[in-house]
Amino acid sequence: MNVKALYTVLLAALVCFFLPAAGAAAEVITDKSFGEANEIVIDFAAPMDPATVGNTDNYTVYEKDDPDIRLQLDEVIVADDRLSATLVFADALNTTQTHIVTAEGISGRAEETFAVAQSYLGYLFSVLIGALLIKNFVFTKYLGLCVFFGTSKRKTTAKGMGVVFTLVMVTSGLMSWFFYQFILKPYHLTFLQIVVFIGLTSLTVQAVDTVLRKVNPVLFNSFGVFLVLVIANCVVIAVPLIMASNEYNFSETFMLSLGAGGGFLLALYLMSSVSERMSLARIPPSFKGLPIAFIVAGQFAMAFLGFSGLKLF
Amino acid sequence: MANDKNNFQLVANGILAENPIFKLALSMCPAVGISTTVMNGFMLGVAVLFVQVFSSVTISVFKDYIHPRIRIPTYTLTIATWVTVIDLSLAAALPEAYAKMGIFVKIIVAFAIITMRLEMFACKEKVSSSFWDGLGMGLGFLVGMVVIGFVRELLGSGAILGYDVLGFKPLLFFILPSAGFFVVGLMMAFFNYIEDRYKRSKGQK
Amino acid sequence: MKDILTIVFRLTLSCILAGTVMGTTFVLTNKAKKHNEHVKEERVAYSLLGFEGEAPESVKINSVHRYVLSQAGEQFIGYFLPAGEDAGSEFVFLQIDLDGNLEAQYPVDIAPEIAADPAEQTAAIVAAIGPGKSLRYAEKYQFITDGGERTAYLIAGKFPGFKTHIAVMLAMETDFSIIGFEVLEHEEDPGLGAEIEQEFFKNQFAGKPFEVLKDLDVVKAPIPDEYMEALQVELPPEELEKVMEKYRGNDIYALTGATISTVAVTDGIKSMVKKFAYRVSILDSVIKDQNISVSI
Repeated sequence: MNVKALYTVLLAALVCFFLPAAGAAAEVITDKSFGEANEIVIDFAAPMDPATVGNTDNYTVYEKDDPDIRLQLDEVIVADDRLSATLVFADALNTTQTHIVTAEGISGRAEETFAVAQSYLGYLFSVLIGALLIKNFVFTKYLGLCVFFGTSKRKTTAKGMGVVFTLVMVTSGLMSWFFYQFILKPYHLTFLQIVVFIGLTSLTVQAVDTVLRKVNPVLFNSFGVFLVLVIANCVVIAVPLIMASNEYNFSETFMLSLGAGGGFLLALYLMSSVSERMSLARIPPSFKGLPIAFIVAGQFAMAFLGFSGLKLF
Repeated sequence: MANDKNNFQLVANGILAENPIFKLALSMCPAVGISTTVMNGFMLGVAVLFVQVFSSVTISVFKDYIHPRIRIPTYTLTIATWVTVIDLSLAAALPEAYAKMGIFVKIIVAFAIITMRLEMFACKEKVSSSFWDGLGMGLGFLVGMVVIGFVRELLGSGAILGYDVLGFKPLLFFILPSAGFFVVGLMMAFFNYIEDRYKRSKGQK
Repeated sequence: MKDILTIVFRLTLSCILAGTVMGTTFVLTNKAKKHNEHVKEERVAYSLLGFEGEAPESVKINSVHRYVLSQAGEQFIGYFLPAGEDAGSEFVFLQIDLDGNLEAQYPVDIAPEIAADPAEQTAAIVAAIGPGKSLRYAEKYQFITDGGERTAYLIAGKFPGFKTHIAVMLAMETDFSIIGFEVLEHEEDPGLGAEIEQEFFKNQFAGKPFEVLKDLDVVKAPIPDEYMEALQVELPPEELEKVMEKYRGNDIYALTGATISTVAVTDGIKSMVKKFAYRVSILDSVIKDQNISVSI
């Protein structure tokens, strides 16, 4: 199996994975989403009657988890082309919750009920970006440092380590998820999570090592040496632990592992680029090697602090 | 070479010559991330000490029964077991301190220093020497964490162990986690410098 | 072959040994952990209500649990409350529809110690309400009574903050004005958003009446000096009361460099109080109209 085929398969899998999220909307309503902090915007298939659509009495809105609390609707603004309506609420909406809207008299049926929530895809991407940038495992969470400093001297080692790590991370992350959901939780064995997770990681490393040796010896020769280092990496045990404590589902775990691996690769690449420059600089003897690497890493950490609170979706 | 050190020398070795944080540069994740106060550093240091000593002793006791081909999984299993024990115990006995340390207690299982120590020392030496060596390494880590915590807490919040010493906060920057990098880097450079001076003065004799 | 067998045997033995050690520790520490959580919750509750250490004998913390019940495609709110002395059972479960009318009431007779365990409580309620209904646990309220009369409310809530979420425990008088709150969990930045744990921030909410709370906003201005002194309790009692009274109707002053965290806490507390006030008034009117015997 060559690399190109592998990439095509992966890409196809990703597309199929994300496609169902498109979903089918109701016939009358083509789109619904959150607008400003206290608005919900509804788009219609055909021009609607402003009297019905603009009447606040025709709507009942509540958060899915709190069906008894009816949110107070101030007014409904109907667009000039009568193809969309904006529900304006008295208070800001908690957009992390799914909102259920029931509208009367806008279609053939007596009432139309639909849910408005933040795009799930957006949420998944925010988990990915979170693990990649906002909560970068090396610069914001300070994990995986030993290996980090060891392999960030040259760009080639950095790239190699990063790629291998991402691969192992995603595999072991997903395997840990399976184990956690189907074995640890049902049998109340969650206190064994540390042993199980590290065991699975060792197993993955061993498996990747064997597979790579047989399937692609050339690749193995360039990347194989990094596999052993993956085990000593704090990030590889941190990701399943975070997954367990946040009770992530499959897609979220996938995004988290991918982001963690990607973030590590990014950190390594950045650090190695600086490292190569530093080898040409004049550094005081006491600082040579690790001390100056730490100080540079500190500066990166400060820079990454700028991502704190970033919200894309 | 390690065999003929007496027990005190073993311990001193762990604290000074082969200090895990400053000299061996291993297990640095918590040194950077969690050493914002002396108490944090101390608690994690105690946890690592516990795991190191117990793992060293366990492996040393069973060293003749460990098949060479599965020694790494055995080390991992031992360390993971003791980490789970200390994790559960800390969560039950000191919930507030435990909450501050977050995930770092569980991550002790991935520390290279402990596995390395088992590989290099405990599987070959007798139980008592392993105990002292483990103690030395653990104490070295503890001392390192406390020192870093001391510097950061004093300069960051003007306090030590929660007691306001300076009456003002010199540089908020020091308790932000990124300062951990700076403090550890500077202390490493300092250690290097001291060692350099010591070697030079010895060499000139 | 023999080699592999030895390896497998020894590995299995080590796993079993390790498992036993961990299992024993787990069993021993689990009880202590649960006890600690309970003690911590009680301590936070008492300190919020103003009791130093132990509370007087006559003061009782009564738990009221709210559930969401689904039956035949419709949803109801269920309340699990301690029943009165003259009721036939220890607890009663009220099923109230979304318009605030009582749908049904079910006596649930289990011992209070058993009811304290969430799984046991849910099982008992499920048995009492009969088949064809599904139950989802929502939240817990604590009604503080002194000698049988309601004196305060304690509720916990979680809402999105600047980073991830912020969890607080809120204490209110019976007229829904705030006594105070405690931040239980947060992941805000130290020195910036984490200042929401400081006394001078939390005290801004203390004593605010329900009318002010309903439209509470955040103003981006520094705290006036005299207000700051009062918030940090650096004034004598009469002066303190005067200053607090003066600023009672004001909005919340934002923390320096942490406006979003301040807004998150303000909106979160506002939403918690409004929802709770609405639900308690419905619950109380149902109890009164239907003459249900309760001990809260």
